[in-house]
Parts: sequence; structure tokens; C-alpha cells
Amino acid sequence: MEPSTTPSPTPPPPPGMVNVLVDGKPAVVKAGVNLVEAAKVAGVHIPFFCYHSCLSIAGQCRLCLVETADAPGRLIPACHARVREGLHIVTNTAAVRDARRAVMEFHLVNHPVDCAICDQAGECKLQDYYQAYDWQPSRIATHKLSKPKRKIFGPLVVYDGERCILCTRCVRFMKEIALEPQLAMVGRGDHSEIETTPGGQLDSAYSLNTADICPVGALLSRDFRFTTRVWYLDNVRSVCPGCANGCNMSAEHRGGIAYRLLPRRNEEVNAVWMCDEGRLTYHRTNDKRVRHARIGRPGTGPELPPDAETAAKKAWEALAPVAPLSDFEVAISAQLSTEEMFAAAAFTRDVLKMRRVYATGRASGKGDDFLVREDRNPNSTGLALVAETFGLQVEPFSALLEGIARGAARHLLMFGGDVPDEASAAPALAGLSTFVLLAANESPVTEAATVLLPLSTYLEQSGTFVNYYGRLQPFREAFAPRWESLPAWARTSGLCAAAGAAWRFASAADAYSLLAAKVPALAGTTLADLPETGIVLPGRAPARFAARAPRPAGMGS
Amino acid sequence: MEELRTAPPPPDADALSVDEELPSRPMVINIGPSHPAMHGVVRIMAELDGEVIRKADTEIGFLHRGFEKAAENSTWIQVLPYADRLNYVSALMNDVGYVMAIEKLMGITDTERSKYMRVIACEIHRIADHMTCVGAMGLELGAFSAFLFAMEAREILYDRVMELTGARVTTSWTRVGGTANDLPAGWLEKLQKTLVRVAELREELDKLLTKNRIFVDRTRGVGVISADEALDRGFTGPCLRASGYDYDVRKVWPYLVYDRFDFVVPLGTKGDTFDRYLVRVEEMRQSERIILQAIEQIPDGPFIVDDWRVALPPKPAVYGSIEGVMAHFKLVMEGLKVPPGDAYSYTEAANGELGWYLVSNGSGKPYRCHVRAPGFPILGALERLVVGRMLADLVPIFDSINMIGGEVEQ
Repeated sequence: MEPSTTPSPTPPPPPGMVNVLVDGKPAVVKAGVNLVEAAKVAGVHIPFFCYHSCLSIAGQCRLCLVETADAPGRLIPACHARVREGLHIVTNTAAVRDARRAVMEFHLVNHPVDCAICDQAGECKLQDYYQAYDWQPSRIATHKLSKPKRKIFGPLVVYDGERCILCTRCVRFMKEIALEPQLAMVGRGDHSEIETTPGGQLDSAYSLNTADICPVGALLSRDFRFTTRVWYLDNVRSVCPGCANGCNMSAEHRGGIAYRLLPRRNEEVNAVWMCDEGRLTYHRTNDKRVRHARIGRPGTGPELPPDAETAAKKAWEALAPVAPLSDFEVAISAQLSTEEMFAAAAFTRDVLKMRRVYATGRASGKGDDFLVREDRNPNSTGLALVAETFGLQVEPFSALLEGIARGAARHLLMFGGDVPDEASAAPALAGLSTFVLLAANESPVTEAATVLLPLSTYLEQSGTFVNYYGRLQPFREAFAPRWESLPAWARTSGLCAAAGAAWRFASAADAYSLLAAKVPALAGTTLADLPETGIVLPGRAPARFAARAPRPAGMGS
Repeated sequence: MEELRTAPPPPDADALSVDEELPSRPMVINIGPSHPAMHGVVRIMAELDGEVIRKADTEIGFLHRGFEKAAENSTWIQVLPYADRLNYVSALMNDVGYVMAIEKLMGITDTERSKYMRVIACEIHRIADHMTCVGAMGLELGAFSAFLFAMEAREILYDRVMELTGARVTTSWTRVGGTANDLPAGWLEKLQKTLVRVAELREELDKLLTKNRIFVDRTRGVGVISADEALDRGFTGPCLRASGYDYDVRKVWPYLVYDRFDFVVPLGTKGDTFDRYLVRVEEMRQSERIILQAIEQIPDGPFIVDDWRVALPPKPAVYGSIEGVMAHFKLVMEGLKVPPGDAYSYTEAANGELGWYLVSNGSGKPYRCHVRAPGFPILGALERLVVGRMLADLVPIFDSINMIGGEVEQ
């Protein structure tokens, strides 16, 4: 083994680390990482299409070719080669530049002139790398190859063979991460393309990740396709409300409309992945929203003026006479943020003097050993936490339905409009004498309400969810509450005011601070300063982690 | 005041002395912002003692657009239409100055043909700018015919500009590395004919004004400023040269291909309104010489550099090749990538040294953009030029400094 190519003595690296030089810049990197990652540490970007830090190495695209000082002129793939002590990686020589240019030229030989109609335009690696490394006119005089242009791969993914650069990231993802090898590369040479397995389709619960990791516009989301151009979108750090896993994601939106949810890296929760079901939850913010407050069942009551104060007053007028009765109950949805739950629980315990609440929320579904939890509510743990804080006993929603059937419950206040089974619950709820409901989406349940107050969704407010593993994670407001909707803490604050109670919740941060004062593990924290990756609450991790779920080091079994 | 006493007496000095004898209270009079004798939208709050100006507070801001801040939110090339609107009487010179600053920052240069094209464009607009200034000056002193001659000249020059750039006033014609388009076929010949007519009009205007008793009496010895003081106050361009200081960026720090032309820089001797007028008339003659020499020398070749990281690809490549459409997309959507750093670039615009200070942080947009507009410091000296003069002198003095609203309000 040759000694280091630099004459200056470098200090010995810490254990498990090695010294490298990248274009003359020193860096200390983990032993065994590849040259792409090593260069990243030194602040040098090595371009690549097929490499992905979570997938196996394919060496398909050849764009990451670099030199080392040991063998000038000899190009090696940076994704495949590993560092060793004293290695000098060189990325700025004529040979490397020429290689990148040639590789880009080859990638573009058959690429269609599609940017104007391609969803990927604006976040396409071909565009970025062409401008950065190639920037020469086409030298191709022949026709481009024709390939399948819009092949439906599955319910959510569509494939454009002409745009595909055959990096095989999607194939490797399905094989290695989703563990459902539904894609393969078929054909040889120019005629290669990505195909679903014979007779099958790309219907994995994780299929949209293939569209994320596709560096070009070959695999696209059928849900997002042609809805907007990506450069118009703003994004905000958020947490998926699709299940109790709480995958970190960024919500992309514009003008009060959510357009797509993309996974955000959190190595201890979701790595860089996200399931398809979770990605589609943004539709709940856009569609079928409760827009206006209502008194009386549909068609019977007067329209309320759009101010929150009047709505709260009317709701309290409906609640005040029935709240002391023994057949009055309160339900809180596990879809709400912890701050909303805190406000609801404070009102329930201190103003309504209740000792128990019913937990409502969406029905459980099929879970798996990776990212999807059976509990389709993002904040069941948060509800348990808040109920404990106030000494409220939590009963399942089914018990409430039984109570209604027995005639033991005739008046109900419900925070959040989600119920496990709308078809069976709605008729029962319609039989209630008083049903004050705070809900975000129109449903048979909202039809049954005698007082209906519109709620904001998680995209319209800041807050936190506590996931299945006891991790409290913050999410940020993407856009202001739409129509007359307000977060539940704001509605509850109004109810407290109407009831003459002392509780007030001026903002999510305010509600969070009140919560943090009561929960020792959160003492001293504020909503604004919470780490983006969240805080793990002690004693709330489940007995078992899902087998392949990402997790903090040394945690779970 | 003292030096005004030593200057040649204005013809109505008798009235001035009578005024001083009559007891009167100071009167504040607002001139503008919308007034037939104000060139731009600007207000001068003049405090009068009789008819003599004792104070003149110049108030700008009526055309303020937050241009420098707007530039930070635009890609480098999107700034160009804003640059047009600085000195909107000679937009091409702003365009040239702006892209030269970017080119300096990027360390690139435009093509040889583009350099000549830029010179021709600049000098056309210099003539148009000076025509507007001296024509309006005549108009506001009662010489309506002179104004009509000047406007005809400007009009036919604007026709050529329109053929060249597609726009009469706000041209947005230059690009980093060259220009937006080549010269139209037969345009240079047309321009030569136009220049013949412009020369006729200029000489007519010269005859109508330069020896016109009324015009001379109203301008000579009025609004005098010495070379030293003009320098101290940041004067550049015709207003500085009228005071006798020889500074023209085209000669002192030659840019583009100005060092290849034979032309002289006219200088005044007294620094009064009349000198500022004379310098502009002579500069028009010199600009014509420069254009004619440029037409002789202009080489064939590309009008913009052939580098798709800088210049938009030709349209057939954009519509017909993925390479072209991607380069076009990246340049339009993200802007050309200017390396981090800062640069100050300066050119001789119609009113003086037009400076562009640009800071790049490597993104597609300027991190900071500052304009040294030549008219700004000159307008700042307006009070100095008019105090002690009579109200009627304000108009010719204000004309002679050629304030352009868009330029002084950055």
C-alpha cells in the first residue's frame, strides 16, 4: 500500500475513521464509506444518478467516475470504491470532466424533449447535471428511440420508458426496502426498460417511493401528476397523520391547497421513506371540509355569523344545560394534535367536571413490519398522555356506542369528527339529544351534529403528535386555517370564555407550554425550540418495535 | 452668494435689486411634482424672498420602485427590464452597463461584434438623450421650434431602436455575453441615413438656440459651478465636463471598443447652464462620429457567446433537442449562475458615470444590487445651483442637469 500522497503529516484519525483528501481538501470520514460520501464530508459534490445511500451499489450510471492521486487518468466509480487511509480523491481533472460530459451525452441520446410537459422539470437531476457538467449542444443526428410513454405500473405510479435512464434505483428499492420485487429491468442494450413482473403490477404499499427516488421523470405519481409545477410549491416540515408511526415529511402546498407529501429524513422514524396511504392523507385537508359553523341538524338550524365568538357562545348555550347531567359524555379524537387534546382535556376536566373521555379516531387497518402501524391515528399516545395529565379515564369509542344504545348517553361533546365506523356510528349519533361536534371534514357524523364547529387540519396549524414509539414530533403550519375553521385549542378557548372559565389558549405554542409545565419530560421545552426529529418520551415505547422499523440506536427489540 | 455677485450679471439684475429694497416676507412655493416645467415627477419646495430663491428643498420619491430590492428577488436577467427604467430616455446604456457588470463578475467577455453593436446602441441613445435634454430646455425657454427639431431627431432614432430591439423606450436588449439579437438586415444603412437627417436637425437646433439672444441671456452665467465643487459634489458626465474637468469614462477607462475610435471630449469653461447645453450639443456630434466609425469597423460573427451556461440556446435547439430545452429551462427558471463575489462596473451614460455594484452569492439572483445613478448627486446639488437666483432661473438650471426620475430614485 502506497503511503499518503500528501507530504504534510496528518494526525492519526480517531478509531473507525480515516483521513482522506478530496481535491486537496482534508476530511476525516468513517472507514469503509464510499468516495461519494467521503467527498460530501469535504464539501465536494460528486454527481450520480444510480447511487442511493439506502440502497445497494449498482454502478449503472457511470456519472460518479473520479480519479485518485495514486492512478492519475484511471477513472473509478466513486459510489463503488471505498476509502482507505490517506486516499486522495480527485474530481476536478480534465479526465473527470470529459467523462462526466460523455456520460451525460450518452444519457441524453434517447431522452425525449419533454421538460415542458414533464412533472420532474425543476427537480430533475438530468437538468441539474446537464447544466453543471455538460452544457453542449446535441451531436445526435438520428431519431430517438421510441419506448412506452405512459405505462400504468400500478394504482399510483406511471412509467415513461423514454425518460428512463435505467439507473435501477426503483428496482433495488422494491427488492431491498419494500421487500416486494415487483419491478425488473428487461430487454438488452438500447431496448432495456423497467417492467413490472409478468401479470403483476406495482401495487406495494410503498410504491410511491420509487417515484421519489427516480432521479428523472420516468416514474411519476399519478396522484400528483399534472396538478401543479414543482417550482410553485412552498414546503413546510410536517409529520404524517396517516398512522401512529408519524413519518417525518414535508408538506408541499401553494395558496392554501396541499399538493403532495414527501418523506423527510429521520433516521430514527422513517429513514427516507413513507407509505402510499400516508402520502394521500393531504386530500383530507383539501376536500369535503366543514366550512361554516351550524346550529341544529342540517336544514333545521339558522346559519351562524362567521365569527368564532358567536359560535362558541351558541355551542356553550347548547352544552351548559346538559353538561351536569349523568348522560352527558365527551369524546376526543386521536387525530388531533397534542395541543388540541390538551385544550379539550382541560375544558373537559376543569369546566365540564368530567372524569372520563372516550377516545375516537379512524379505524385501525393492516399494519406491517416496517412503517405502517395498525393504529391509523397519529396521536393515540398523545391522547393517553394528556388524559393522564388531567386524571381522565380513557374509554374506547365502542363503549360510547353501547352507552348510546342503552340510553345511558344522550348528550355528547366530541372533539374531532373521525369515528372508526361511520356507517354504524352515524345513526346512533343522530339519535342523540345534544351532539356538539368539532370536525374538519363533512361526513355522515357531521350530519348528525346539533352544533357543528369547523376545525382546522394539521396542515393549518402548528403542533405535535406523539407516535407509537412515544416520540413527540413537531409539525409546522403550512397555511392559515381555511374558511371558518380554527384549531381545536382556539375553539376550546372560545368555549372556556363563553363558560366564564379561566383557561385560554392563544396559540399552539401557548397550549404546548401549558402541557410542558405539567409533563416532567417536557419541562422547559417550547414548541418553537423542539428538535425537528422530536423528543422520545420516557416510558412510552411499546414492548416490541416492528421488526424492520427504523429506531434510535439500542432501542426496541 | 458671493460668487454669484462676481458672475456676469443676469439681464434682469435691476429687478433683483429692486426686490431687495422692498420689504417682503418669505413665501414657500411648491413646484411640482406635477408641473409642466418639471421634467420628471419631482417636487421643489422653494422659499422665495420676492422672486429670489432662498432655499430649494428637492423632494424625490414619486417614482420610487424599490428597484434594488426588487433585483434581489429576480434572476440576473429579469433585472434587465428594471434597469431599462433607470434612465428611461437612454435605456440601452443602462442595459449595457448592467450586463457588463455581470460579465465582470463572471470574468467573461462578449463577442467582438456584440461590442460594436453595444457601442452603436449606446451612442444612438446618447444622441436621443441629449436631444431630449436640449430640446426641452429650449421649449421651456420659449423656443418651441427647437423642441420640435429635437423631437423629430429623437423620434427617428427611436425608430431605429425599435427595429433593433423591438421596443422604442424600454429596450431590454443586451444579454450576458452579447445581445438579444443580431442587427436586422440593412439596418446599418438605414441608420446612416437617419444620422444624416439627425445631423441636419441638430445643426438647425444649434442655429436656433446657440446664438439666440433670449436663450443665451437666460442661460449664460446662470447656475455656475466650479470644477472643484462639481467634483466634490459627485458630478460626472456633461455637467462635470461643462465645468471644464476632463473626465469621460470612455476615454479614461475605455470599455467595449471605445479606444478604437477617434473622438474628442468637449469641455466647457464656466460651468454654467449654457456650457452644459453646449457640451451636450457637441457630444451629439462626437457620438455621430463614433457611430460612423463603428459602422466602418464592425466585424461579422456571432452576436452572443456560444456558451449555454450563459446564453440562451437558439430556439431550434430549444424546441428540437433535450440539451437545448434543459439549458433554456435552467437559465430561465433558476437564472445563470454567477460565481460568488462582487464587482463594480462603470460606463459613461448620458448623464455621467453609471456605476453598477453587484454582489453574488453564487445563486441565480443578485445578492445585492446597487446603482450609482449619475443624476442622483447632480440633483443633490440643485439647491446649490439655484439659491440666490430668481425663480425663473430655476427652470433652465433644472433642465440643464437633466434629472431623470427613474434614475435618481433607485
